[in-house]
Amino acid sequence: MTEILHVRDVTVRFGGVYAVQNVDLRINNGELIGFIGPNGAGKTTLMRVITGIVQPQSGRVFLQGVDITDKATHLRIRAGLALAQQIVQPLRALTLLDNVAIACGSDKTRHALKSMWVTDIRSERAQARELLARVGLSHVVDELPGTMPLGYLKRLEVARALALNPRLLLLDEPLAGLSQKEAASLADLIATLNADGQTILLIEHNLREVMRICPTLYVQDNGKSLAFGKTDQVMSDPNVRNAYLGVGHA
Amino acid sequence: MSYEITLMTTMAISVLFALSLNFITGFCGQISLGHAAFLGAGAYTSAMLSKADVPFLFTIPAAAICAAMLGAIIGLASLRVRHDFLAITTMGVGFLFVGIIRQQDFFGGEIGIAGIPSSGFGKGGFMLICIALALTFAAFSLYVRRSWMGFVFKSIADNEDVTRVLGIDVSRYKLIAFIIGTGTAGVAGALYAHHFRFVGPDSFGFVESISVLAMVIVGGIGSVWGVIFAAALLSVLPMLVQFIDDYKLLFYSGLLFAMMRFSPDGIAGLCTRLFSSIPRRVPDNGGNNR
Amino acid sequence: MLYLELFIQGLVQGSIYALIALGLTLVYGLLRILHVAHAALFTLGGYIGVIVTNATGSFTLAMVVAMLVVGLAGMLMYKLAYEPLLSQPPYVSLIASIALFIASEEIFRIAFGPYGLSYQTAPLQGHIELFSGFYLKYAEILVMGLSTILMIALAWLSMQTRTGVAWRATVTDPDMARAFGVKIQNVRYLNFFIGSSFAAAAGVLVALLNNLVEPTMGSVASYKALAIIVLGGLGSIRGTLIASLLLGVLESFGTIYIGHLLDRDAIAFAFLILVLMIRPQGLMGGKL
Ligand SMILES: Nc1ncnc2c1ncn2[C@@H]1O[C@H](COP(=O)(O)OP(=O)(O)O)[C@@H](O)[C@H]1O
Ligand SMILES: [Mg+2]
Repeated sequence: MTEILHVRDVTVRFGGVYAVQNVDLRINNGELIGFIGPNGAGKTTLMRVITGIVQPQSGRVFLQGVDITDKATHLRIRAGLALAQQIVQPLRALTLLDNVAIACGSDKTRHALKSMWVTDIRSERAQARELLARVGLSHVVDELPGTMPLGYLKRLEVARALALNPRLLLLDEPLAGLSQKEAASLADLIATLNADGQTILLIEHNLREVMRICPTLYVQDNGKSLAFGKTDQVMSDPNVRNAYLGVGHA
Repeated sequence: MSYEITLMTTMAISVLFALSLNFITGFCGQISLGHAAFLGAGAYTSAMLSKADVPFLFTIPAAAICAAMLGAIIGLASLRVRHDFLAITTMGVGFLFVGIIRQQDFFGGEIGIAGIPSSGFGKGGFMLICIALALTFAAFSLYVRRSWMGFVFKSIADNEDVTRVLGIDVSRYKLIAFIIGTGTAGVAGALYAHHFRFVGPDSFGFVESISVLAMVIVGGIGSVWGVIFAAALLSVLPMLVQFIDDYKLLFYSGLLFAMMRFSPDGIAGLCTRLFSSIPRRVPDNGGNNR
Repeated sequence: MLYLELFIQGLVQGSIYALIALGLTLVYGLLRILHVAHAALFTLGGYIGVIVTNATGSFTLAMVVAMLVVGLAGMLMYKLAYEPLLSQPPYVSLIASIALFIASEEIFRIAFGPYGLSYQTAPLQGHIELFSGFYLKYAEILVMGLSTILMIALAWLSMQTRTGVAWRATVTDPDMARAFGVKIQNVRYLNFFIGSSFAAAAGVLVALLNNLVEPTMGSVASYKALAIIVLGGLGSIRGTLIASLLLGVLESFGTIYIGHLLDRDAIAFAFLILVLMIRPQGLMGGKL
């Protein structure tokens, strides 16, 4: 088992609030880890530390053994990360197809000057079409995001992240806003991707689906690590039940 | 005939200048309220070289390089600021440019540089050079739009944070847009200097920067055809309609305001809506285009 | 003594900047609009001040009328020009605002002539000798005094009255305020009224200092006030006040010591760019 990601002793403070406090997390190749915790637990913040959108006050992040803490976001993505954000951010001027196609073309966009000499986009569009079909959006590929319901945009985020062909896929609440049925089918897709070898860190509030597909859970509360381990063990941990379920968060 | 030539030359220079801003603001989404500074940088470079007996055609690349270098510096600095901060920073650059030029005798100070030698191609020949350069850059713009670079520009203009999360080096792309746009403004400046045979600090101030931004916006931000049309029209309108002279600025600003109020996506947007509303009236759904 | 003299001149200029920039900050804080046309209201204030003073002979009356009329004009401007554009991308309202400003300069020129107006008998032109060889005009004292009073009044209003509390809440967090039942629309009107009437006061005061109002008197104010609110951190009232005074003093020294390199406007913008390179969020700007 090779280690893909290592978050070491990371702390993030916003003003006086600790959003993430001395957190450690390791993800090995091929794992699917469910990352849960009440609202405001610092899950999204930790994701942002991993992708470099937020700089931690202390701690380091390693991707495949390389320290990426001081690297710019786009370099981390190129090194093998991809993120589907909790708050959907489609490119509103582009069709769904092109939203994904631009991510498929990372070879062509790597060198800015060279990108001027390339116009062919057919293979990227074909690839994008496949990815959109995988998340069940093949019937709306030519629509603009502005006209689409939230559930579709959530799936677009996932397709766009997949298009980057990452070593580690980071998903921030991809199931939120989806209907029961949609959520189950997207969760199935996530499980299938993992079965095909994709390493995934999945933040999710939908406990039912998380428990169904994730063999391993990581729990955070109030910015602190609470538990890490096999799903059934973690879920029977009294601390977790107390923090997560006892207080009555959704 | 001479009058028409002057008109066409003015149009061509304005089109080139407006397209150069369109590359930065329209394509890449980086607003600039100080673009006239780069026109000025090119104009002063070309004017001073010409006065030192450098042939006109050689002053063009020199003007481009000079303006692009300035553009690269400003571009690098601008990477640190965004949105409204960027708008005001670029506006500051415009004031800084004029402020420096004005105080230096080296650049002719308040008075500027007069008596710039003619291009040596005659009025007609000069007009053809201007038109050729404007058309070349228009073609280049249309091409870039279709390339992967244009695709990335569109994405950055839309949302630069998302573009970054897609693994794209946003800063690098922005810088390229800045360099190409400002370099081209420098070329327009060289033409400007030899068209009017005079350059002074007041020709490159805030009003000039706003006028060119108005051309881009009235044309339809990002639309090459729209910008060409608007720049050609707005640059010669005051000459064509003499009676309007005293009310020129009022008319200009009124038009700009009306455009923002009623069709913020410019003439291009207006046309799109007009044309797409014709077939759309036939089927039953009129409302789903919002 | 030169230093002190330059310093006090800087404070006078800074007080004017503060009065103008305050309204811009209020508008930006609430609507995220760079309200360039604010300077048109400043000019309007100046014109009303001169015209009413000349007609009635009362400077105080002129000041009050200018502040009231311009305050209402500001509300009208919001209603007619900005409200319909709120859903558009930010550059739209910025360009619309610039257009409005240029148009207003033209209207002043066409209506009152290009050379401007002066007071028939300018009030408050005397001066006192502060210490040997250093004179301060009454008008300059009034500038500093009145702007201080207006600022304190505003601070009192926002701290001590119900309306003020609702207003502050809305400026800090519109969504939260709405949830607590504050009528956002009214707060916006109030913002435009206060901001515009402060600009009018500045206009009247500048007219008094120069004994002249002219169509283009707003241009410097518009560009520089933008620089100031950006310098202050966009939306921070404290930052704006600090930046105003700082810039006033800086320009006052700058024109003497580096005036041969840069003109006055360029000094302001050079400082602005310098600060933004070090702190892209401005002096007092918080997280973006
Ligand atoms: N950009 C920010 N500025 C200030 N506070 C923030 C910011 N982002 C998150 N926070 C705070 O950090 C804490 C953790 O937030 P977040 O990571 O979004 O939690 P989660 O995703 O687990 O719901 C919350 O208290 C939140 O208010
Ligand atoms: Mg979250």
